[in-house]
This record gives sequence, C-alpha cells and structure tokens, in this order.
Amino acid sequence: MNKKLIDRMQILSISLIWMLFIGIAVWILNLIKESLRLHDSPDASLGISLVAIPVFFTLSSVLTYVFIGLRKGRKKDMEP
Amino acid sequence: MEKAPAAPHPEYDLLRPIEDPGKSFYYIVAVLLVIILYTGYVYIRQVYYGLGVTGMAQPVTWGFYIINFVFFIGISHAGTLISAILRLSKAEWRRPITRMAEVITAIVLAIGGLHPIIDLGRPDRMTHLFYNGRLQSPLLWDIVSITAYFTASTVYLYIPMIPDIAILRDRGVKPRWLYEFLSWGWQGTEQQHKVLDRAMNILMVVVIPIAVSVHTIISYIFAMTVQPGWHSTIFGPYFVVGAIFSGIAAILVLMIVFRKVFHLERYLKLIHFNYLSVLLLIMSLLWFYFTFSEYLTGFYGHEPNEMRVFWYKFSGDFAPYFWTMVACNFLLPLILLSNRRTRTIPGILVASISVIIGMWLERLIIVVPSLANPRLPYPTGIYIPSHTEWVLFLGGVSVFILGYMLFARFFPVISIWEIQEGRQESAKAVTERITSYMPDPQPPLAKG
Amino acid sequence: MKWGMVIDLQKCTGCGECVAACKLENNVAIVESKESEMGRTMLWMDMLTMYEGEYPRLRVRQFPRPCMHCDHPPCTKVCPVRATYKNEEGIVAQIYPQCIGCRYCMAACPYTVKSFNWYKPEWAPGIRETVNPDVSVRQVGVVEKCTFCVHRLQKAKEQAKSEGRNLREGDFQTACAESCPAGAIVFGDLENTSHRVNSLSHSPRATRLLEDLGTEPKVIYLKEVD
Repeated sequence: MNKKLIDRMQILSISLIWMLFIGIAVWILNLIKESLRLHDSPDASLGISLVAIPVFFTLSSVLTYVFIGLRKGRKKDMEP
Repeated sequence: MEKAPAAPHPEYDLLRPIEDPGKSFYYIVAVLLVIILYTGYVYIRQVYYGLGVTGMAQPVTWGFYIINFVFFIGISHAGTLISAILRLSKAEWRRPITRMAEVITAIVLAIGGLHPIIDLGRPDRMTHLFYNGRLQSPLLWDIVSITAYFTASTVYLYIPMIPDIAILRDRGVKPRWLYEFLSWGWQGTEQQHKVLDRAMNILMVVVIPIAVSVHTIISYIFAMTVQPGWHSTIFGPYFVVGAIFSGIAAILVLMIVFRKVFHLERYLKLIHFNYLSVLLLIMSLLWFYFTFSEYLTGFYGHEPNEMRVFWYKFSGDFAPYFWTMVACNFLLPLILLSNRRTRTIPGILVASISVIIGMWLERLIIVVPSLANPRLPYPTGIYIPSHTEWVLFLGGVSVFILGYMLFARFFPVISIWEIQEGRQESAKAVTERITSYMPDPQPPLAKG
Repeated sequence: MKWGMVIDLQKCTGCGECVAACKLENNVAIVESKESEMGRTMLWMDMLTMYEGEYPRLRVRQFPRPCMHCDHPPCTKVCPVRATYKNEEGIVAQIYPQCIGCRYCMAACPYTVKSFNWYKPEWAPGIRETVNPDVSVRQVGVVEKCTFCVHRLQKAKEQAKSEGRNLREGDFQTACAESCPAGAIVFGDLENTSHRVNSLSHSPRATRLLEDLGTEPKVIYLKEVD
C-alpha cells in the first residue's frame, strides 16, 4: 500500500473518531434535554452527564494533538 | 511462514511471538472459535425463545448476566491501577507490566459492556436506550461512564503503543500496511517524544477519575434501590476496592501465563511479582475491612429484612458460597502472600486464581440473596443457572482469551520502548530523584 | 384525581376470586406447571399468606396484593427507557412497546408486584376465546403489572365525554373490586370526597404496606378487628 493511501486512511480515522465523539456528545445533550422536559431526574445526574462531555473532547483533542504533533516532529526529508 | 529477515534486536524475546508465532497459536484459536460459535448459537436461541431459557424467575430476576457484567468490568480496573497510578507515582517496576494491564482493560470492558445487552428481554429494542434514554436511571449513568472509560482506556492503550508499532514497521513485519497505518509516522525524534510524553501525562491523570466513577456507578445500580442488602452507602468504595482487587489478581495470572508461554523470565522477574502480590495482599486486607464493616453494620442494626438477607448468606442456602468467598478472598491470600517463603510464583498463581474465584462469588452474593428474600411474604427465591447461562459465561471468557491472543499475535505484550528507555535513563533519573529527597548541604557557617 | 384502592381485611375471606378475575380481565398469560414451580407464575393480583406465631397459637392471614401504584414509585425511578411511569391520575403505567426487558424495575420494587414474560405467552385453544379484546396482549421479554384496569378507565371516560358529564363513582371499577363477593375491595378516587375510598382511607383501621420506605402506596388495607 502506498504512502498516500495510508496517509488518507489516517486522516479519515481521526475524522471518524471526532465524528464518533461529537455523536456521543449530541446523544448526551439529547438525554439531558429529555430529562429537563420530563423533569423527573435528580439534578445530580444531569450535572454529571454534563461533565462527561468534556471528557470525550479531552480524549479526541489529545489524539489529535498526538496525530499532528507526530507529523510535525518528523525529520525533514520525509514527504509531508 | 518466512522468518523475520531483520537484524537481531536486543529485545527479540518480545518480538518473537509476533514474528514467529508457531503452530499452537492456530490450534488454540480454532478451539476458541468453536466455543464462541456455539455460544453465539446458544444466544440466538435465547433471543428466539425468550429469557425463559435461563434459570431466572421471580423474585430472582437477575442472575449470571448481571453477575458477570459486574465481574468483567471489575477486572478492568487492572489497567488503570498499574498503568496510570504507577506511571503517576513514577514507579520504575511498572515498565514490563503496563501494556498487559491496559490490554486487559480494553478487552474486558468490551465484554462486560455487552453483558447487559445479553440480559435484555428485548435486545432488538436496544436503540430505545439511545433515543429515549432516561437520565434518572443508574443504568443510563452506567452506559455513559462505561463508554467514557472504554474510549479513554483504548486511547491510553494506543498512544504508548505507537513507538512499538514503529519498531515492527521498521522491521518489515507483515502486515506492513497495518503497522504503517497505526504508527502515525513515528520516528523517535526528540520532538515526537515530547508530544508523546505530554499526551501520556494528560491521559494518565484523566483516566483515574473515570475508572473510579465506572465501578462506583455500577454499584449505584444496586445501592440506589431500597432493597435490603443493597441500599448501602458503602457500595461505591466497596465495589472500587473489589474491582482493583480482582484486577490485580487477573493481571498476575496473565503475567504468569505469558512468562511461561513466551519465555519472558528475563523481563518478568520475581521482584515484579513480589511487588504486585504485596499490593494484592493489601487489597485483600482492604476488601476484608469493607466486607466486615458492611456486615457488622447490618447485623448491629438488626433491621428484620436486612437480617433475613444476612442469615441467608451466613447460615442459610448461600452459606457455602459466602464462606468459600471469605476463604478465597481473604484467608488464602493472607496465608500465601504474607509469608515470603510462600510468595513464590506458584504460590502467587494459586492466590490470584483464588481471588478471581472469590471475587466472582462476591458478585453472586451481592446480586442473588437480596432478590431471593423479598420483603413481602413470598417463598424464598431459588436460582439455578441454566445451560444457556453457563455457556454464555464460558463464551465471555473465551472471547477474552481470543482477544488477548490476537493482540499478542500482532503487538508486543511488553512495551519495548519503555524497557529500552528504562535501561538507558531510569537509573540516572531515580538517582537524581532520591538525591533531591536528601537534606540540602549546609551553607558554610559565617566566620567571626 | 388520584385513583386508589381500599381492601378491608375483615371482610376478605382469601377466596381468590380477585386473583382469577384479574387474570381473565387482563389477558395475563398462563404458564406451564414446570415454569410455575420455578417462580414464573404471572399474577397481577396475588394472594399472599402471612403466618404469625407458632402452633397452637398460629394465625394465618391472607391478603390480596395488587400493584400499590405508589405516589413515589421506586420502579419508575430506575427504568432506563421510561417504559414505566406515573401518569397525572396517579396510575403507574407500563408502555409495553417501549420496554426493553432489563428487569431493573422488577429488582427495584419492594413489593415484588411485577411479572415478566419469560416466554411468548400462549393460550390453550379453549381459553383463547375468552381473551379480552380491550386489553393488549404482551409479547415475550416485556415486564407487566396491575394497571388498575386502566382500559376500563378509558372506556368510562369516553362514555362520560360522549354524554357530556364528569366521571361518576361506579362508572369505572377494577375487575378485582367488581368481582369480590364479600365487597372487600373498594376502588375509586382518593381525592374525591364523594367516593367511598376517600372516607374509608381515613378509617382508624387504615394501614399501608411498607409505609416506612416512603413509597406512598395508594392501596390501603383496613386491619382486621380481632
């Protein structure tokens, strides 16, 4: 497999991970919206779910940071 | 199968299982696949006929599936304790252990997370959890936290693997495209090392509260009801302690198995087992402390429904399981591990297997007795697991073994680059650190 | 409007008519004897037996146990998909197509009132003709329980609306209340002073099961006068 294809697959995989985590965040926000509408959940569970969303974004940010950082740190003679 | 053409590597023992797996790997995988296929068939039967094929009934409406759910997710705490906490505390002896522990976590979380689904009466309606999930229910909190933990531990497993994947890529191990794809262009430059270190530092801090929350929230499934024996505030910490306990036992068993099978005696030395088994002993004492507190409080309060569940466990139908659990979780590890002479590899293996059995029994003892003794005057419930439940249990274990074997076939189970880093830098770093603990030299006294 | 029930234990003889009537009215499935021995009998209305004391001063008490329709239900709190919920009139309802069969509500109920469809419910050929068309038949893998015959409530409401009047007491009776030969079960609106349940619920003999749990059950028992 040539380098260009692998490169594209890597970028695709990072994008899919972001989409997955954004999907999870949207789902949690949906759950919170439903709880507020029906008003039968303890506020604590809403608060904790709100905390869960930054966790997913931290993970995807760290992954992206590593991804970009590793590319930038390559020796100059490799193709970009 | 052609032999690896690359130059001999100082850590070749760790690369041999990947570059030269041997025939027995394929035989074992074949056996496991047969078991897993049969498990799949049994599960499809359950979906077709209904949960009636299990041994559950009123009042014991939860059985093996929920027990194994808690059990498997409990074992997942192996990864966090060893990896994150030991890395955070800069314990150098963690280096050969971290990867094995992190892999346990990833695989066992996936298996454990599937168990509530096989417990559902209508798994075809699983999407209701996503479209109409209710945040008041501890089951939903569970889904959120297990998803968070699974993703966090997978990322935390993957990022430290990158340099090792690059080693495999550079040695031309097949399939080349896989290692090329996963290594993200790693070359070992100083800048790349900095990026990796920073990422690992962030992750090891983030992963610990997530892990603690996962098992606490699982305990809330029971503690948030008003049933006798369940509605206890100690459940959160009790479950976390129990999880770390069973996790260490699991990782010890795996270490002993891999040491034997892959001939890793040079890497997994007696001192590593020594330290981990002392940790196991400490967790055993902690577990006993929590268990003792829980039952003493219940007994002293003498509330009638609590006492029915209490006596059911102590001297009733569940007494054999209860006392076996105490022997497995406390007596046997205490005897074997507190004495240096019995803290050998065979002794540690026996103690760890005993803890794994004991912790499974503990989940059984938490789930069934409270359900079997309802408050209103019903006859005491009886739970006899059926063929379906036993097969699915065996299937879960087989999936774990298969997953681990597949991982070990393609990736090194001991972190090669961290071992190399340890050889080169650890002694200096530790010497510097210890010197910094010592009192500063006295300033020269002013004369006159 | 808060639907509730008063069961007079002095009048109750433990005959079990309410149990049978409920099963027939609500299409509750009949399970095989092997399943029943395991504990899978489906009884929305159950007859419980309490033994007090020892021989020769042994006392056997029987009491009917429907769903308590708690005002603070422990079961609705734990349902992950809102398949069980409390409606505005105080009835704790089940939404059968929504239930995923996790059985958390069954584990959480302190009165153990819920039943589960372990297999696909089937009726023997003769019984099939007596199935009540007003009540939906549940599928395999779904939790069910006493609904205070809410289908009769719907019918009564529609009737009252078409006649342009409010619901009267007696328009809507649960099957168990209707069938009890001793008149021990009285059903009605606990908040409506003209309904008998309202005055009966204030009787000095009135008690509720497991009151100290805070579930606020709406089935009130009138203690026996020894």
